[in-house]
Amino acid sequence: MPKHFRPAGKKKEGNAAKYITRTKAVNYLQVSLAIFRKLCILKGVFPRQPKKKVEGNHKTYYHMKDIAFLAHDPLIEKFRQIKVHRKKVKKAIAKKNRDLADRLLNRPPTYKLDRLVLERYPTFVDALRDLDDCLTMVHLFAALPAVDGERIEVKRIHNCRRLSHEWQAYISRTHALRKTFISVKGIYYQAEVQGQKITWLTPHALQQVLTDDVDFNVMLTFLEFYETLLGFVNFKLYHSINVNYPPILDPRLEALAAVLYSVPELYALCRYMSTGSGRAIGNSDSGGVNEKESGAIKENEDGNNKASAKTDESELRLAQLQHQLPSNEPGALMHLVEESTAVDTDDDETKECKSLFKNLKFYLSREVPRESLLFIIPAFGGTVSWEGEGAPFNEIDEDITHQIVDRPTQSHVFLSREYVQPQWVFDCVNARIILPTDGYLVGRVPPPHLSPFVDNDAEGYIPEYAETIKRLQAAARNEVLPLPGDEDLDNSLVAAMMDRTESNEAAEKKRKLEMLEKQYHDELKMEIDGVTFSNLSNKKPDKSQDTMDKDDAKSDHEDEKKQAEKDNDDISTALMSRRKRGLYKAMEIGRERKQDKVELLKKRKKNADSSASAKRR
Amino acid sequence: MGHSDGEHQLEGDDLSADDASWSDGVWSEDDDEGSLSFEGSGSGSGSDADSDEAAAAAEESDSSEDEVAPRNTVGDVPLEWYKEEEHIGYDIDGRKIKKRDREGRIEAYLKNADDAKNWRKIYDEYNDEEVQITKEEAKIISRLLKGKTPHGNVDPYPDYVDWFEYEDKGHPLSSAPEPKRRFVPSKWEQKKVVKLVRAIRNGWIKFDKPKEENNLYLLWGDETDTAENKRHGLSYIPAPKPNLPGHEESYNPSVEFIPTQEEIDSYQLMYEEDRPKFIPKRFECLRSVPAYEKALREGFDRCLDLYLCPRTRKKRINIDPESLKPKLPSKKDLRPYPKTCYLEFKGHMGPVTSISVEITGQWLASGSCDGTIRVWEVETGRCVKVWNVGGDVRRIAWNPLPERPILAAIVGHDLLLINAEVGSEEVQMRAKELLKIDEMAPQDDTDGKKPAVRWMKHEKLDGITLIHHKAVSNVEWHFKGDYFTTVVPSGDTRAVLLHQLTKKHSHHPFRKLPGLPVAATFHPTQKMFFVATKKFVQVYDLQKAQLVKKLESGLREISSISIHPGGDNVIVGSKDGKLCWFDTDLSTRPYKALKIHSKDITNVTFHRKYPLFASSSEDCTAYVCHGMVYSDLNQNPLIVPLEILRGHSSSDGRGVLDCKFHPKQPWLFTAGADSVIRLYCD
Repeated sequence: MPKHFRPAGKKKEGNAAKYITRTKAVNYLQVSLAIFRKLCILKGVFPRQPKKKVEGNHKTYYHMKDIAFLAHDPLIEKFRQIKVHRKKVKKAIAKKNRDLADRLLNRPPTYKLDRLVLERYPTFVDALRDLDDCLTMVHLFAALPAVDGERIEVKRIHNCRRLSHEWQAYISRTHALRKTFISVKGIYYQAEVQGQKITWLTPHALQQVLTDDVDFNVMLTFLEFYETLLGFVNFKLYHSINVNYPPILDPRLEALAAVLYSVPELYALCRYMSTGSGRAIGNSDSGGVNEKESGAIKENEDGNNKASAKTDESELRLAQLQHQLPSNEPGALMHLVEESTAVDTDDDETKECKSLFKNLKFYLSREVPRESLLFIIPAFGGTVSWEGEGAPFNEIDEDITHQIVDRPTQSHVFLSREYVQPQWVFDCVNARIILPTDGYLVGRVPPPHLSPFVDNDAEGYIPEYAETIKRLQAAARNEVLPLPGDEDLDNSLVAAMMDRTESNEAAEKKRKLEMLEKQYHDELKMEIDGVTFSNLSNKKPDKSQDTMDKDDAKSDHEDEKKQAEKDNDDISTALMSRRKRGLYKAMEIGRERKQDKVELLKKRKKNADSSASAKRR
Repeated sequence: MGHSDGEHQLEGDDLSADDASWSDGVWSEDDDEGSLSFEGSGSGSGSDADSDEAAAAAEESDSSEDEVAPRNTVGDVPLEWYKEEEHIGYDIDGRKIKKRDREGRIEAYLKNADDAKNWRKIYDEYNDEEVQITKEEAKIISRLLKGKTPHGNVDPYPDYVDWFEYEDKGHPLSSAPEPKRRFVPSKWEQKKVVKLVRAIRNGWIKFDKPKEENNLYLLWGDETDTAENKRHGLSYIPAPKPNLPGHEESYNPSVEFIPTQEEIDSYQLMYEEDRPKFIPKRFECLRSVPAYEKALREGFDRCLDLYLCPRTRKKRINIDPESLKPKLPSKKDLRPYPKTCYLEFKGHMGPVTSISVEITGQWLASGSCDGTIRVWEVETGRCVKVWNVGGDVRRIAWNPLPERPILAAIVGHDLLLINAEVGSEEVQMRAKELLKIDEMAPQDDTDGKKPAVRWMKHEKLDGITLIHHKAVSNVEWHFKGDYFTTVVPSGDTRAVLLHQLTKKHSHHPFRKLPGLPVAATFHPTQKMFFVATKKFVQVYDLQKAQLVKKLESGLREISSISIHPGGDNVIVGSKDGKLCWFDTDLSTRPYKALKIHSKDITNVTFHRKYPLFASSSEDCTAYVCHGMVYSDLNQNPLIVPLEILRGHSSSDGRGVLDCKFHPKQPWLFTAGADSVIRLYCD
């Protein structure tokens, strides 16, 4: 049989053999569509775009290898078992065999997803890279109302809440948080873990609306995988900082957490982590591993006059500390742990983040979003308390430097502290400096809250407040007083130096640019002159025409320049292939659109300014 | 049977007693019921009574019929048959039963008002009498209406009485002895139990709920780049991350990010896919920010994107658009080329349609719509000579031989050959000689057709007119200066003509052309001939008189053609502003097409010496390009656009009408519709 001849229905080649439509895939796997979906979600199989769509344009195509990958998974067998089990239960109930039904219901077939997690993310970094969606989803479900009898089990929502708090506790503890942004959709956070930028969105801490335009089956399947993934990721992260996982929380705080909508849970976790890491170090010490390091830690602890270095007593002592510290010395525990675990591998940014709120003490009023602030402030080295049960210190504490309130007026005012709106914290974090609190005081309309995710220079439009912040940053960098602590001094000096060199460079660049521009102008002039010159030298001079030319040149100088630029463009586009020219034009259009957007913003700004000034008058 | 109301009421009691006696057998229990049902039975008066009774008895025998036969015997016929009659029917004896008199309404009413039992009275139309229902009958009716049995005493579900006695009759159903299995434990049951016991012992059946174990562990071990740590299977395409929020998504964006109400309204006019998905809004403080109602929906959409969207690796071009531009050699290396206007030749009063430079480069001839031909001195811009030819000059061409200063010009729709009167005396004399023509008789009048061309002496200007049969559009000299060609676009088979100056002879070699001819020109060195029609360029071998090549331009309409001095390359300008470069050795399709002009190209031209070519267009610009042809056949020609020459102003929608290079210098002459000729130099 010649090679090109293929009997009908026999093997195919090329795209027809490589890709399979969804319907065919479902038939091939002999599963229902719902199970197929579930399999795809859990295994991370997605449709692909074949070069040539053999079966039609409006179909989704899966790669045959992906489908074979699904077919070989034990999960498919497990799903069949679950189906059979469901039938058995149904039959038992129909036959009024309550006994059997109960027995069956007690032990449904279960499956684990750890293997799938490892399969999809062979290295930890891979998992971190894809963690954005996972975190957003888990945080979303953590905010959903836990209603009994709904499709979403209460248990799962609690699990989501726990996982999200564990994650936040880790980020807060390692000072990995980089950017925060309050948007209408919720609060965005960006953290940097092992060099990966992870961004997630938490909804505002309000009652979420359960809409019926979503398919919860799909979302819950995703959530199932994400819960597992985040569990393992948290385990690995906690393991990396020598903390036991899953954390065992202070029962008192945990009980409170149950009552008070999870607020102090995060705090409890943080405390657990602080103490837990200490305990783990103690354990490693007793094990004889890393003796040197632990020795160093011990020295540190000695320096703080906090502990005797006896290993068998360390656990007890830490437990004592845990109970004793929050009541009288809130900052100390954090401080101690920080000192003891001060790892030199912290990069500059982490150091910067760690020391942003270093000597500040915050107190949260009743009405501010406690959860996010309890997460953010410790992540940047601050100490925080709140109004309510389980708080480490209360409102009358004299050391409080900032009280965060979100109400029109504050009745009782302590003069020793500043009353600011929550946006101040977020803006400080994004700017990485302590901003002046004037604009954020109680009852004022705060300055605009800007997104830290936008590259203003690339976008072409810099909002006014961004410039103000930039100026403040520059000022902070230059005028920073050498703080006690040699590290900071070094830093500031280096920063100042850097600044100076940078500014020098910038100035030089500017000068060069100016030079170039001047040269260009001169050349342009010379060109015009030069022509007339050659004209004069070579041929019989045509004086009147010449002068006319000159006049024209002067008056239309700008026009000519523009024309020349346009001509240059035209000339170079003339030789492009049609495809390239199309691409070039498309890029031009994109550029113009961006420009238009910026123009619109500028126009609006101008209008707003003019109207504001009119009002003032 | 017939009885009146009065009788009935009177006899009611004893009749019922009478009835009771005989109806006893039927209704064993209820006397009164029986009496009720037969209330009217014995009401027959006089002679009727016996027969009535007999009839009743007869009926009673076969059924429990308790009705009295009606006194009317007409049977089941429509009663309206008797409407007109005086009687209502016949009694059993065949006598007519008279209708009663109708009671007056007042009378009836009074009667009714008096009578307490009136509600029980029913008018029997058949018998034409009023019947009074007894209380019992009313009861029956009400029971029937309720769906019960007519008589209250009937028990519809009486207890079943089994009259057969079974006990102690001495007739057992089976007398077999009790089987053994009744006394021995079941084997199968035991087997089942054993099975269950075994299953329980082996732990196959478990009763308790499984414990929730914590199944988290350190999944990722050491992070070495081993094969185990590689993802298997197909290449993984990570889903694109969701877009990061911009300033406008802030809960408190700066004012410029908030659209005005008009802008928001204008979004309604947009297409739905263009409409912004998110409209920024400003909240004064954090506590007033509501829950985002689309949070769940957006999460769900993201899920759908993750598992339903086909993924491909797309190369996002993140390049500077400037890098798309082709790398061209620097313009400095390609010098000299004309770039700045150096001289303007002013004098014409109308658009200058055509110019031509003398082969030595000393003189420039121009023709204009104002009906003049002028000769200029190139270096000074002085107008040397003016001829008033009295008609639009469409085209002008200088004889390429320096010793023949003859101009060929298309004036009106004919061709004019005149002596340019430049150069030495001798040369002028020779030119005069050449242009002498003896007035011949009309040459070929034989075929009756108008001759294609007639050579005539032009009286006024001392030249020759070639009177063509139709309007001429183009004239071009052969490089030896003896032959020239003219194109008559509407000339059908005589569209392209060849003329010989010395012999004063013309002929039309090409009978058939693919479309209207636009221009024709000679090969610069060989005996070849190019004819440009609207879409094609035909290349003929003049010696063999056959078609050599047909170049397909792919343009809408060719306007001009020029041949490279080497002869192998042709450029063609079109009316859609495109310029095509043909390498005839390479292919019959364009080697390169440049879309450089926005309007019609009026003329294209090559430089004789320098690797330059130029095009002039109605958009008031002329392009100068570098067009290097290499002698190495493997190397493609190098084309570099060099300069856009501006300066001419538009008049009447027309721009630059002609361009010609200086034969020796890298200078370009352009003729504009603004009646100015410009000279561009390096």
